[in-house]
Amino acid sequence: MPTHREPALRAIGLRKAFGDHLAVDDIHLTVPAGSFYGLVGPNGAGKTTTLAIAVGLLRPDAGSAEIFGVDVWRNTVQAKSLIGVLPDGNAMPERLTGREVLTYLGLLRGLPPAVVAERADELLRILELDSAERTLIIEYSTGMRKKIGLAVALLHAPRLLVLDEPFEAVDPVSAATIRTILRRFAANGGSVIISSHVMALVEQLCDHVGVISDGRVVAAGPLADVRGAGTLEDAFVDLVGARTGGTEGLAWLTS
Amino acid sequence: MAHLLTPGPAALAQHMIRMRLGLMRHSLRGDNASNLYTGVSLGLILAFGTIAVAVLWPAYLPLTLAAWLSGWIFGPIFIGGGSEALRPEYFSMLPATSGRIAAALLAGAFAGPAPVVNLIALLSLPVYGWRFGPAGVLVGLTAAVTTLVTMVMISRVIVALIGLFVRSRATAAAVGIVTGAAIALCSNGWAPVAALGGTDTPAWSQVLVRVLPSGWGVAAIEAAWPLALAILIANAVVIALLLAAWAALLARRVVSAARGGVPPRRGTPRPFPSVSGVRIAAAKELRAWWRDLVRVQLLATAFSYAIVTPLLLVTISAWIMVPFTGLIAIVMAAASSANLYGADGTALWLTLMTPGAERADVRGRQLAWLLIVGPAAVFLSLAGTLASGQTWAWPWVLGLLPALLGGGAGVIVLLAVTSLVPGTDPHKRGGNPLSTGADETAETGLAWLVLVAVPATALPAAGAMLLNPWAGIATGVLTGALSAWGLGRIAYRRLETHGIDLLNLMKYGPAPETTKPTTADLPIQHRIGVTVSYSIAWLPLFPQGLAPMFMKIFGVEDRGWFLALHLPPIWQWPTIIFMIALGLLMYGYAILIPMRLISSSSAATS
Repeated sequence: MPTHREPALRAIGLRKAFGDHLAVDDIHLTVPAGSFYGLVGPNGAGKTTTLAIAVGLLRPDAGSAEIFGVDVWRNTVQAKSLIGVLPDGNAMPERLTGREVLTYLGLLRGLPPAVVAERADELLRILELDSAERTLIIEYSTGMRKKIGLAVALLHAPRLLVLDEPFEAVDPVSAATIRTILRRFAANGGSVIISSHVMALVEQLCDHVGVISDGRVVAAGPLADVRGAGTLEDAFVDLVGARTGGTEGLAWLTS
Repeated sequence: MAHLLTPGPAALAQHMIRMRLGLMRHSLRGDNASNLYTGVSLGLILAFGTIAVAVLWPAYLPLTLAAWLSGWIFGPIFIGGGSEALRPEYFSMLPATSGRIAAALLAGAFAGPAPVVNLIALLSLPVYGWRFGPAGVLVGLTAAVTTLVTMVMISRVIVALIGLFVRSRATAAAVGIVTGAAIALCSNGWAPVAALGGTDTPAWSQVLVRVLPSGWGVAAIEAAWPLALAILIANAVVIALLLAAWAALLARRVVSAARGGVPPRRGTPRPFPSVSGVRIAAAKELRAWWRDLVRVQLLATAFSYAIVTPLLLVTISAWIMVPFTGLIAIVMAAASSANLYGADGTALWLTLMTPGAERADVRGRQLAWLLIVGPAAVFLSLAGTLASGQTWAWPWVLGLLPALLGGGAGVIVLLAVTSLVPGTDPHKRGGNPLSTGADETAETGLAWLVLVAVPATALPAAGAMLLNPWAGIATGVLTGALSAWGLGRIAYRRLETHGIDLLNLMKYGPAPETTKPTTADLPIQHRIGVTVSYSIAWLPLFPQGLAPMFMKIFGVEDRGWFLALHLPPIWQWPTIIFMIALGLLMYGYAILIPMRLISSSSAATS
């Protein structure tokens, strides 16, 4: 029987290739229950692919994933009832309004109508989507799409939130609101995994960090251990072996 | 210093052509390549057929060219906005006037197989001109080029008009109604023509096919020198006007922000009903039908075709099809709903992440489709049978109606999960609301598959009907219920086990590590054969085989265009049997050849 002492997410030897390109190469990750975990890495490092496999939206070539000890691929339905997901760039039921999509998904999950109405109302108000009552999701801006995606992930009060780039394209006020919501969620025993490019944000929010580069985990553990004495950004540049460019070339632009 | 000069018109056009060819090279992988080869082969057959018409039956050349024109006009509407390899949006930030960009885009539009094939067909004009001496050949050659440009321009202007003005349910339905009527005219337009003028070609139709832009070349060849020159110059002026119109439409399109064909709305939407499971999924789906202009347009096309086709035959006093209006509507509506999951794109992830939602989603889509198509189909069937006075048709209508409704509801969800054609996610589609971004050839193939599969589900009812009308009605109700329940069950089971593969097919495209061979790996002659068989096997099987068979059984006198019924009685049954056998053979070939190849190669690799 899974308990709270099981890690929120455990990924064991994940591997996924797209044609010749090995996107995820033997990734092992353990996200402790109750932690706020930041997954960072350069563009194309395999963050999105790793998260998609971990929540059961992409079949790995090898390896397995567990949510609170429940195998994502063997015990799909139980695993899915434990998580709320915000994937990157997926479509929604585009012809519904924000309130309709929350109502639809809540009722589809079997939540009582009164509970669904109350939660949808609160989520729309707090995420400031209630002014767009008549707007279909297909007409939403990128930031609004992120916010309704987050509302969908929160709706059924999951135990683990898996959020791919939750702050991308979101305005500063909404971003502050989302940070507060996630902190409250984590403070009350919930577990959160976010992926991000913004080191300062991860440093500010997360207590655990995993660094992925070229489809491999190059560092993972409590934030203090990974960043050492300097900032997370310094540690990151150091870890992924990158060199910041921009000082050479482009003479035509500055002449 | 900023670079303020853009390339001149010729250089810009060259870049467009290179870009278009580059895009085509990249897309020529796997199934796309085989679709292209097949399309080009079919097109070449038709093109050389057109030249043959110019040589052997010159009187019919203007009519044949009018058919090419209608292809350019209705092709893009029917398959969803036409292929837009080079989207105008890509070039909206180029510092050049919209006219110059339009001209360059037009040049890019010619760098494809369709215009080349059409040009070969238009070489029928100089061939026709040969009868009028060297001057006729010269006029014919010039007219071939101007006619080609005119046809492509008309096609582009119509696509642009649709993209801009299909912004409401009324306009979407109007486009659908016109398209449906046009398809009906293409298949049964001979009936009103026959009613008006008998068998000999009346003078007015000769004038009509020359007045159409496709007939200007023929008119110029036949005219005296000054008039011929005037016609060609007038054609050039028309091209210039079309180009100006297209440029203006493009300029408006790239700055209009409408996305994905959403009709305007008033007031707050009605709240969802407090239900769960299948019924909430159906409520979601009904809203999608009502709020998606592509669906509105396709549904209007289906019903328009179903209503116009029998009415065309009424002009020659043949009421035989009128009772079946509703049944035709069901089959056509099923064909236009064949890619339900593909059209929704990656929104499937939410169904997959909601525990146990797969069954509700499939059943909900079935229920919504039945609620949308069912009442109208029932009404058309009852009204049609009553109005036609064909009392013999009652048991057929009452038996086939439930069989086809259930069959349609089952087949569409089954094919939606087994033969999904990936497109562009709805929110990422460009300024053309009627295009799903999917591979049109594959989408059309899927629609054809539905056109065959849905009537097939009604075969048991038809068979029982021949024995006893009451048995036929009972069988129809039974097979209808069984198809909807059973095929739906297979569909949601498959969604439960393979949903993730469908999602990733839409997200990342087909898996590149194909160890299993596909149709694209067949030898080229089989590849062409399979596609040709798929596209035309219905012709001998249904209209030339099964239809005359039923007409003979019921002693219907009207011979129509059914070959067998025009032959001496002794040859009628053999012809019907031959046609049915030919149709079945072609389907068998198209299905079995790829299967044999796959099994033999998997045996070789294992």
